[in-house]
Amino acid sequence: MKRLIEANAWTVGLAALLALLLIVTKLIQPEFGASGLDSLARAALPFVLATVGMAVVVIAGGIDLSIAAMMAVASVTAARLMEGATDPQSVLVLITVLVLGLAMGAINGALIVVTRVPDIVVTLAMLFVWQGVALLILNAPGGATAPWLRNLIVGGVTLPGFPPGLPPSLTDWIPKAVVVMAIVVTAVWLPIKRSKLGLMFYAIGSDPLAAFRSGVPVGLTRVAAYAVCGLFAALGGLAVTMSTGIGEPIPGPYLLASVAAVVLGGVVLGGGRGGLLGPILAVFVLRLVRMDLTLMSVDPNVAAIVEGTIMVLVVMFGGLLALRGARLDRTG
Amino acid sequence: MRKLLLGTASLAIAMSLAAAAHAEGYKIGISNTVQGNGWREEMVCAMKAQALASGKVESLNIAHRNTDAAGQLEDIRNLIQAGVNAIVVNPANADGINAAIKEATDAGIVVVAVDQAVTEPSAYILSNNQEQYAYLGAKWLFETMGGKGAVVYMRGAAGAGADNDRDKGFKRAMAEFPEITVAQEVFTGWQQDQGKQQINDIIAAGVPFQGVWTSGIDNVIVDAFVESGAPLVPIVGADNAGFVGQLQSVEGLVGAAVTNPGSVGGAGVELAIRILDGNAPAEKTVLVDPVVWANNTDEGKKLLAEAANPNLSPEWPVSVSIPGWTTYTMDQIIACKGPGE
Repeated sequence: MKRLIEANAWTVGLAALLALLLIVTKLIQPEFGASGLDSLARAALPFVLATVGMAVVVIAGGIDLSIAAMMAVASVTAARLMEGATDPQSVLVLITVLVLGLAMGAINGALIVVTRVPDIVVTLAMLFVWQGVALLILNAPGGATAPWLRNLIVGGVTLPGFPPGLPPSLTDWIPKAVVVMAIVVTAVWLPIKRSKLGLMFYAIGSDPLAAFRSGVPVGLTRVAAYAVCGLFAALGGLAVTMSTGIGEPIPGPYLLASVAAVVLGGVVLGGGRGGLLGPILAVFVLRLVRMDLTLMSVDPNVAAIVEGTIMVLVVMFGGLLALRGARLDRTG
Repeated sequence: MRKLLLGTASLAIAMSLAAAAHAEGYKIGISNTVQGNGWREEMVCAMKAQALASGKVESLNIAHRNTDAAGQLEDIRNLIQAGVNAIVVNPANADGINAAIKEATDAGIVVVAVDQAVTEPSAYILSNNQEQYAYLGAKWLFETMGGKGAVVYMRGAAGAGADNDRDKGFKRAMAEFPEITVAQEVFTGWQQDQGKQQINDIIAAGVPFQGVWTSGIDNVIVDAFVESGAPLVPIVGADNAGFVGQLQSVEGLVGAAVTNPGSVGGAGVELAIRILDGNAPAEKTVLVDPVVWANNTDEGKKLLAEAANPNLSPEWPVSVSIPGWTTYTMDQIIACKGPGE
């Protein structure tokens, strides 16, 4: 148990920070409860999916600056195709959008591998390409979402163990958005993580040359990592469409937010190290900070500074702790 | 780990201290998704000034940042959590934030959308008529051009709701003047530097045109003509202080400013207060119609001269108040202070 906590010290620390922030929120706003958790989870959903996509590609030693633009393409495609669609048709649309996400990511990856141009340059260029594509598909916010998809993330799930008949406000503490998030991330990431592919992501992230000499097809693995990132971007775009009910061609603030959450979540930007739970917790921490700043009606121009400062402080503390840990390792 | 906890604990104490202090009056929430734009800054200042001038608002909760509709959903839900009596919102788009607005009105919170409309029927809407904004300016321009020639069409941000509405108004005016053509259509993104670069490129490329319609990125366009020495053509812009000044000072410039007051924000706060006081308007939608201030008519010249105020930020619209709605003074909006600040 001790070993497990030590190995995941960063994630445990983030979880503690999140718990502490929840208590602070309750202190600021005594009425904070199930509905507050629900709005927090719904706000976090697109950020979590973007962050997970970014984390996968960073673990594999890359970065994808076009993630928010890919989300916009997925969002407008879904909204456009779902307008007037029946429920079975909307399932088809869902699958189409996910395949589209995979394809967009794979194109990004393939361009990096084939042209040998640095990932930052390629994905920065693709940011503009996907932005243009999104505007071509839908030149202004519009479209629609299937109602069953929208309801998928509204409200809560009843906790097990409660006697039936109690009002939902007492028992529904787990937001549906969290359940959807957990299912989606696990369904995509767990099979990858458990298979050789997951190991290869970490391998090309920590040392591409060593990975190559061990027989890892570096190029193909890189394409796969970007494709997974594209898939999560598509899921993120779908989440935006699910919460707003429409498609938006202008990308939201997901690029910087996802990079921030990845770093805050303990994934090393050079690649090869980190997991997905840390970044997900980091997203919740950042969303909760935003909520607290609104609850306290902090001056909006100061709020951005506070958000940034918290991020720097946490990463700095983490760096100090890691340094101390390393020193202890050497002496002990 | 201990340090991490220590750090957050001290943060928590600071936060709870800041949450103290209360008084009587309404608590109003504000949500806006564009930061650092003169128009929106004036809107927020008008909201603060009106809340202060009304004497009925105890505190403002302002969520003012650059984000999308999904982020605005988050902000509105946070404002619901904060327990506000009313929310005044400049919506990211017409449909995207309906879910959160419905949640707010279901919770008994008055919601007023300003500047742009929302399709959620439980919300009140107070906005500038954007379609009419483009139509009036374009009509003046086409008439001034003698009903024929090519026009440079400098739009706002691609995909934005207001840009879409303005496009409808522009097209409506185009339909009335069959001999007018579009020489170039560009999106300035409502960014000064981008708009200036685009007009410089168009002038340098030698594309013939007889007029320029801009979606509010205007003073840099005049600058580009003056700096390059290109012959001036009629220019339509918004009532931004810089452009209004140019209309009165730049020699040979024929142009018109179409009003698009950012002070609708203040009017929105006033509407929210009236509804909270029990005086809801009969109609859910209140439209503020724009006015054309052209420097080629005596009436327009008079309006332009009256509007000039050296203390205003050059990027703010100069029409800082809306008769019948806002009650603050010019000094109050320039000070940009809300209740308790």
